[in-house]
Amino acid sequence: MTTHRHRRRFMAFVLAAAVAGTGALAACGGDDEGGDGNVTLTFWTHTHPPMIELNKTLIAEYQSKNPNVKIEYQQVPNTEFATKMLTSLSTGAGPDIINMDDNALRGEYFPKRLLSPVDPAGFGKSSVAEVEAEYVPGTLDGAKDAEGKLYGVPSEFNGTAFAINTKHFKDAGLDPATPPKTWQEVIDYGKKLNAAGHKQAFNFLYLHSGWYNQWFQTLANQTGGSILSADGKTAALNSPGSKKALELWVELARTSGIADPKTSSRDATAPYQDLASGTQSMAIVYPWSMDQIKESNPETYKDLAVVPLPQADATAQPVSRVYGYFWAVNAASKRKAEAWKFIAYLASARDRWLTDVSFVQPVKGWDTSAAAKQIPFIDVIAQAYANGRYDQVGPHWNEVQDTIHKAVDQAVFDGKPVDQVLNEANEAVQRSIGS
Amino acid sequence: MTTTTARTVRVSGSGRAPARRRRVHGRDLVGAALSLPALLLFAFFAIYPGLRVFYLSLFDYSLTAPPEFVGLDNFRFLAEDPRFRQAVLNSVFYTVGTYLPALALALALAVALRRKTRGLGWVRLLYFLPVATSWVAISVVWRLVLHPDGLLNETFHLDVNWLTSSSTARWALVIMGIWKETGFFLILFLAGLARMPEEVHEAALVDGANPWQRFWRVTFPLLKPITAICSVIAVIRGFQAFSPQVVLTGGAFDTEVVNLFVYKTAFESARMGRASAVAVLMFALLIAVTLVQLRVFRRTDT
Repeated sequence: MTTHRHRRRFMAFVLAAAVAGTGALAACGGDDEGGDGNVTLTFWTHTHPPMIELNKTLIAEYQSKNPNVKIEYQQVPNTEFATKMLTSLSTGAGPDIINMDDNALRGEYFPKRLLSPVDPAGFGKSSVAEVEAEYVPGTLDGAKDAEGKLYGVPSEFNGTAFAINTKHFKDAGLDPATPPKTWQEVIDYGKKLNAAGHKQAFNFLYLHSGWYNQWFQTLANQTGGSILSADGKTAALNSPGSKKALELWVELARTSGIADPKTSSRDATAPYQDLASGTQSMAIVYPWSMDQIKESNPETYKDLAVVPLPQADATAQPVSRVYGYFWAVNAASKRKAEAWKFIAYLASARDRWLTDVSFVQPVKGWDTSAAAKQIPFIDVIAQAYANGRYDQVGPHWNEVQDTIHKAVDQAVFDGKPVDQVLNEANEAVQRSIGS
Repeated sequence: MTTTTARTVRVSGSGRAPARRRRVHGRDLVGAALSLPALLLFAFFAIYPGLRVFYLSLFDYSLTAPPEFVGLDNFRFLAEDPRFRQAVLNSVFYTVGTYLPALALALALAVALRRKTRGLGWVRLLYFLPVATSWVAISVVWRLVLHPDGLLNETFHLDVNWLTSSSTARWALVIMGIWKETGFFLILFLAGLARMPEEVHEAALVDGANPWQRFWRVTFPLLKPITAICSVIAVIRGFQAFSPQVVLTGGAFDTEVVNLFVYKTAFESARMGRASAVAVLMFALLIAVTLVQLRVFRRTDT
């Protein structure tokens, strides 16, 4: 009896130890790479419904043409996209293929050496120069590091334009064929729209720090301002041009009274709700914005017209802002060659990106292609590319963007003096880039 | 009153039995082995990261390059950083603003709800429901409540921009925090009141004490241990606040609390050393505040 009890206790001990061992092993994880020639690629993007649909279609096609390749596609909510992607790649994990904007690439990913340079073999080319030769000069600059090495190809290249609701314009007795050319005209038109009952004449989108930063740079491009000095070593938010940019923002959003920024939709997962719902009359837009509205609110879309971005100075050369999202490969990926082949396949579907999602692949002659001719307003977008410039980016750019966010909130929502908030922001930016 | 005294004497007078060396049974070993997985996981995911935070606070570490020893530089930077200073002040405001009223309200409600009346269980459940719901879910709902055309403004005929002004956003978080957290402390106070002998109240009643005197002279002093625990938990929960600030304001309009500052510093800016230094400072601060609280609430009847 005693022996039996001892045996039972011993067995219980062994079982418990086994449970403990299993738990410990489970915590370690492992590599799922098989040795049978099959390859699994992981691919992460942000959430933009039309883009997700086309990605899924292209993935299915690629998998059927390459039965040994499986693509695990994951969408990360926009609000946590930047943090999740950066953290996972920084820790040596993350997907094989990423899709990221040029601000993040140049501000965080290149300095931290998180990405692998473009592999021309994946595109069936013998050199990177051959890959570059396919694109409009300058459009790949957002995916190049300080030494000019290329790390990605564009999934979308965006120029900045302006949308007006033609129905609202007609309600206010305005001619949609003569849209506002300057920000002052936006204010003048806005007052007439207000009088006609359209209280949200023009609003910026106050979604997250990245959006604040892009609006600020859009205005600063026109007013001669910048966040950093030309050499990128000192903060320049207290320069006259930067001050003019924020003053212009405050005038458009607060003092002119043409809209109430406090009622602007702040849901980053579905931007442009106010324009799409017909609440807002005018907005700064990108090609993808229009496609999104076309899908979510087709009735409002019919009333929208895309026109050139208003300027701060009508007599000066128009200046716009461009940005891009790029497909790139994780430096820690063990399947880089396969990843580049898949990216090359995605990039080869350039006409479908344009017709299905309104994503421009800036290859030479894109604007004269049959696909481009089907897209409304494409001439305006092409013009925006011609006078566009990439955002300024520097070290610890997420902190800098948070600082811009705070400065704008204080000036626009709290009504603090522009001089004061920019001086404080300038000190904060200097601390960020200098530490 | 006599009964209480007698009980106190009996409890405090019951000395500990002399320690005896206890045999280790096989059952103990099985128990220890079964607890090993949990202990290993706890050590790996809680104790080790906790200790590593102290180590990393002395380094400049961006995750992608080897940590570089910088001594106390991270602490020096924080001492002069206006953003960190503001985050600490925001945390203090949220903690005091939320948990002081929540504790007072919970105590008052507990006294009111302690009587055994029909349907009272449901009332208690209602108060506890917000506690059982996640911060994120509640914050999403409160984003609608706090909208300029939301429930709060509509109900009280207000015209307040709760979430888009530095003067009101912090109060919006406090209001939501009080609503969410009162139920948690209510349960603790109710448990304390349930353990309180009815005789003391009867004795006070016989002595002619009015309800106010009975509360301050009998109920509140006897609830002191529970109040001490509640206040310690309150400060810790207050300084650990994160989710409501993320969901409601993203830290804008002077609502960036310390935990959110740590999160952004560590994961958005990849400054792990500096974020660790903040965690070390907060650890020291919370230990100090807890010791002060325990001293203030120290029992004086032994």
